[in-house]
Amino acid sequence: MGDVNVLQIVLIFLVTWIAAIDQFNFLESLYQPIVTGMVVGLILGDLQTGLIVGGMYQLMTIGNMPVGGAQPPNAVIGGIMAAVLAISLDLEPTVAVATAIPFALLGQYTVTLIFTISSGLMSLADRYAEEAKPSSITRLNYVTMTLLGLVFAIVVTLFFVGGQAVGEQVVAAIPTWLMGGLSAAGGMMRFVGFAILLKVMVSGEMWGFYLMGFGMAVIVMASPSLSGPALIILAFIGFALAFWDYQIQTKFKQSAPVVGGSQSGI
Amino acid sequence: MAYNIPENYSDRTPAPPLDNGTLNRMIWRSLFLQASFNYERMQAAGWLYGILPGLTKIHTNKDDLAASMSHNMEFFNTHPFLVNFVMGIVLSLEQNKAEIPTIRAVRVAAMGPLGGIGDALFWFTLVPITAGITSNMAINAETSLGSAVAAPFIFLAVFNIVQFVVRFILMRWSYKFGTEAIGMLTKNAKEFTRAASILGVFVVGALTCVYGGTKLGLELPNGETNTPIETAIIVENTTLNTPVADGGYKEELYALDDNGQIKKDADGKDELLPGASIRPLGSELSEIVHLEKAPVTINIQEILDGVLPSIIPFALTLCLYLLLAKKQWTPIACICLILAIGILGALPAAFGGMSIWP
Repeated sequence: MGDVNVLQIVLIFLVTWIAAIDQFNFLESLYQPIVTGMVVGLILGDLQTGLIVGGMYQLMTIGNMPVGGAQPPNAVIGGIMAAVLAISLDLEPTVAVATAIPFALLGQYTVTLIFTISSGLMSLADRYAEEAKPSSITRLNYVTMTLLGLVFAIVVTLFFVGGQAVGEQVVAAIPTWLMGGLSAAGGMMRFVGFAILLKVMVSGEMWGFYLMGFGMAVIVMASPSLSGPALIILAFIGFALAFWDYQIQTKFKQSAPVVGGSQSGI
Repeated sequence: MAYNIPENYSDRTPAPPLDNGTLNRMIWRSLFLQASFNYERMQAAGWLYGILPGLTKIHTNKDDLAASMSHNMEFFNTHPFLVNFVMGIVLSLEQNKAEIPTIRAVRVAAMGPLGGIGDALFWFTLVPITAGITSNMAINAETSLGSAVAAPFIFLAVFNIVQFVVRFILMRWSYKFGTEAIGMLTKNAKEFTRAASILGVFVVGALTCVYGGTKLGLELPNGETNTPIETAIIVENTTLNTPVADGGYKEELYALDDNGQIKKDADGKDELLPGASIRPLGSELSEIVHLEKAPVTINIQEILDGVLPSIIPFALTLCLYLLLAKKQWTPIACICLILAIGILGALPAAFGGMSIWP
């Protein structure tokens, strides 16, 4: 990659930074490969190839959306690297898309790692909340978002300068057992969040409804065709239960004898 | 969690309704719902960031602001494009100084189901249609560069117009809806809080299963099949008398005596095992049916699923609840515990063993 100039490196860095932030925030559409493909094409002086690769990568990701909080192979790194590889190494668009897959997997690992690490920030956020400091909460969000963008931008820029070989070496150097352990831990962290909610919401008489919600969810999730709309179905059931309880409780209140009322009638 | 969130705000006079400017600022901020997304509270800090313009207007008393910010830092996760629905309702309750358990219960009950609706609306419908059509335009850049260049812009325009219309309408509508419903709610406040808590706790129970994907990948070797499987293959004749350990089929074809020699039948021929057969094909090849003993593994997850599906998410949540509520653990200590379980579980794989995770 001899003819890469400084301006191109800076622009790729900026584009990745914006796209990485945008994949979870802001418009949540600027990061899509169809957009980044065009932008990378413009930066590297081959708009046509950029558009073709972007379109191809986009079609591949359509079945691979961040549905239900799952992390698919990362479309930001994958899309940008596919366009970079196609243009700088003069690869066929289809080959470039396939070559970019290891980079996309690396992006997926990066996201898992960042989401795991930033769990540690929540106790800090709790303290800001207790001290009623809105500006600190705001700053925490901005800093975390900026750092996530920077990690992505640095990774992609290194690959852009270093080329395909560096990318494959890095992917091979990551111990898969550690990534397996980290992503398992990442998947379990939400139970801490659930436990905090239970601690504040559940009094003695509420446990039955927790068990019922869990039990109904197990039943609904057992059917593959229902697992998509599972939470809507469960919300209907839970709503019916809550609404019924509300009606009964208000009826009780109306029909309850007025204690300490007038007794002169007797 | 040294700080105990109170049940009621100290200033219980409803605040003046939020003006449209504040609502619009919160729509803008809601774009950054996932700024500090993490696996413990998910969108909680971003959610709090989003509603801060409203909260600071509503709670002029610092203690009340602390209480409100603290309970809004609890676990939060909904669909990023539909979050404004939850925002509107929660802010109408905050503005009317509803009891904190009520607000919390409504928030939890509203955030859950939106995930599925949003996925269906945006990721399964809007993106496949718009991105599918525009991608094809972009791929044809060689024949018509003009429409290919337009493709990304068409995609961005359609997607974002839909996104912002949805956000805007949901915010206005749900804030109005919440404010109108508040009169009825305050008349039966106690009963309503109870009902909302039932729904909230029910949803947390459902989330434990629906969002709880943790599974074990352990498969323990457990000897071989009792009844051998009859398998037909074509092999070289030299392998017929070779022991299984050396890549042959001796023990799987012939009846052996105590010394490991092949038994002879009444006619003096080598005695085959019942079910086994040898059919010579010529050229030093034979088609044989040998009695293969397949290795058996125990899939731990299948056994656990037989006891109760999603038993691991369920058990972990209850353990963490006990640690938090009874042993006074901090959330950060729980996070470290989870991290240790995850890495220790995978550690055997580093030394050629088996990770307990799939």
